Amino acid sequence: MIFYILRRLLFLPLTLFGISLLLFLMIGLLGPYQRLATFINSPERLKGVDVDKLVELYGLNDPLIVQYGRWLKNLLRGNLGWSYVGKEPVLSAILKRFPYTLELTLFAAIPIIFLGTSLGVLAALHHNRPLDHGLRIFAVVGWSFPDFVFGLFVLMIFYGTLGWFPPGNLSIWAEEIVKSPYFRNFTGMLTFDSLLNGRFDVFLDALRHLAGPVLTLTYVEFAFLLRITRSSMLEVLRKEYVRTARAKGLDERVVINKHAKRNALIPVATVSGQTVIGLLAGTVIVETIFNRTGLGSFIALAAEQLDYASIMGGTLFFGLILIIGNLCVDLSYAFIDPRVRLE
Amino acid sequence: MLYATPSILAFGGDTLMLLEVKNLRVYFRNSEGQELRAVDGISFSVPYGKTVALVGESGCGKSVTALAILRLVEVNGWIAGGEVLFEGKNLLTLSEKEMQGVRGKDIAIIFQEPSAALNPVYTIGDQIIEAILLHQSVSREKARALAEEMLHLVGIPEPRKRLNAYPHELSGGMKQRAMIAMALSCRPKLLIADEPTTALDVTIQAQILTLLRDLQKQIGMAILLITHDLGIVADMADEVVVMYAGKVVERGRKYDIFKHCCHPYTIGLLRSVPRLDVDEESLVSIPGFVPDPLHFPEGCRFRGRCFLEDETCCIEPPEVSLGNGHLVYCHHVVSSGVCYEKR
Repeated sequence: MIFYILRRLLFLPLTLFGISLLLFLMIGLLGPYQRLATFINSPERLKGVDVDKLVELYGLNDPLIVQYGRWLKNLLRGNLGWSYVGKEPVLSAILKRFPYTLELTLFAAIPIIFLGTSLGVLAALHHNRPLDHGLRIFAVVGWSFPDFVFGLFVLMIFYGTLGWFPPGNLSIWAEEIVKSPYFRNFTGMLTFDSLLNGRFDVFLDALRHLAGPVLTLTYVEFAFLLRITRSSMLEVLRKEYVRTARAKGLDERVVINKHAKRNALIPVATVSGQTVIGLLAGTVIVETIFNRTGLGSFIALAAEQLDYASIMGGTLFFGLILIIGNLCVDLSYAFIDPRVRLE
Repeated sequence: MLYATPSILAFGGDTLMLLEVKNLRVYFRNSEGQELRAVDGISFSVPYGKTVALVGESGCGKSVTALAILRLVEVNGWIAGGEVLFEGKNLLTLSEKEMQGVRGKDIAIIFQEPSAALNPVYTIGDQIIEAILLHQSVSREKARALAEEMLHLVGIPEPRKRLNAYPHELSGGMKQRAMIAMALSCRPKLLIADEPTTALDVTIQAQILTLLRDLQKQIGMAILLITHDLGIVADMADEVVVMYAGKVVERGRKYDIFKHCCHPYTIGLLRSVPRLDVDEESLVSIPGFVPDPLHFPEGCRFRGRCFLEDETCCIEPPEVSLGNGHLVYCHHVVSSGVCYEKR
């Protein structure tokens, strides 16, 4: 087990190296002047400046391998460069925004996993009866909705018409409290921090702002889990050990909850883990639609403005999340399925 | 000792029956909505402490009969009629709750494929203890001790250690032993063994059969042995019930069936067993195929494959009693006088 984890972690820098190399080569496709342009806010500032000198100064004309070496050297010092989008170093921009994305993911993961699994089991138990058909249609509709379409619907109904769930992270009054020196940051996540500071009003405000994106993500993502759970449960219900459990004289409730579900949820656990990882790295669109600060909207903005230091840093961070997340999923597998031995 | 057991008198001096299946019908509906008469009016009985073998080809309705006795027929099937009398009470009229008290306690079942019949995510111990706790009012520690004793009884070495083993950690033979331990943990009066050795190696087969015979002596249970292997029947059974296409074609004491069988199907079945003492060029087989359950022939179901067939066979065959409980369902038994001995 320990060896397995160590071996997987050994591969981590290798994978990250590969990702960064690929990204650097792609960015290298831009000419030195194009990249210089991303540093310039307004053409006014270029008046009377020797552009070639600037290219020379920043080393933009050096061979790509030299530039990559320089970037790598800085990376090992913990310096990911300056983010023009965040107007601060890339690393601190990422670390500041990541808690917001993590918070949204945590709040969305709970209803997604709960609804996906419980409704999936329910559908399987009502196989080919009206409830099953109804749930499957409901799920397929959610599954087919692009998040940017459903997100806009949610905004239109719950903000535009009802005024319940506003976009953004916090209302202005709450934001002032959070930014005041009396408000201490523990986790960087607004709901937890406001509770820890004893500001229940801020907590409620943060929840209100989370509701829209959570609702969107839940409906779009839970459908997949429902379908996996349903088919897995249907398969397990046909297994002989379920018949054995009935033949023992167990009540049908025990047969389902103890013998069938425990087996049916093994593949569901993997898919749930991957869904959570996907949310951490893939809330770009929802964060943008709901105008939330977060890692996703940060990367989206960086990509729009060709802020390549931020793009590189952000992508590496996503890579890290992906690898560590998948490792956690694989490890959890060994705990929930006694047949799996990690070697 | 005529008055020793009053119930013997109730049966008019016949052997006391533990299980009587009377005119049992089990129908299925396939995906096209057609009705399949998998078991169509069969009758047989199992005396206390004896072994009755239910013999027939794959798909003749043997396993369905076994499941119907426990009322565990799958969702697309139902018991369409008949009676299953267990110690005189009709199991088919019990409530589901009462039936749960019969399953595992009075009637236990073991299946063909021990790897599939044991729940992969629970230990052998958990699964046996669960059965004990369900039907006996004992403490968990006592149940654990009983489970260990059962594993010892079925010849599993190091029973205490094996309690904590998962099914995948045991060999096929050991799994079937564990399955037997679980089935017998509540000392049932009837054990239904549905092809208990089909999935096992020949050497292991013999061990398991010997084990079943020994345990039968110790516990005094009756066995309903479902098999297609006539060698096992000769080895184990006291009485034999031969099934063909959802009907019983012949039943009687083992000696009568093997030495004086009178139904053309039984004769064909016995002839197709390869013999070492007779010089045969090739294996003998019954011509034709088992009929499709959707298109069973009218009258005798063996029509089309039978060497005695004539126009009378379109009529439902009569029950012909040859004495000693030897019953044959055929128009031509007596008139033809064809017996196995005269082949």
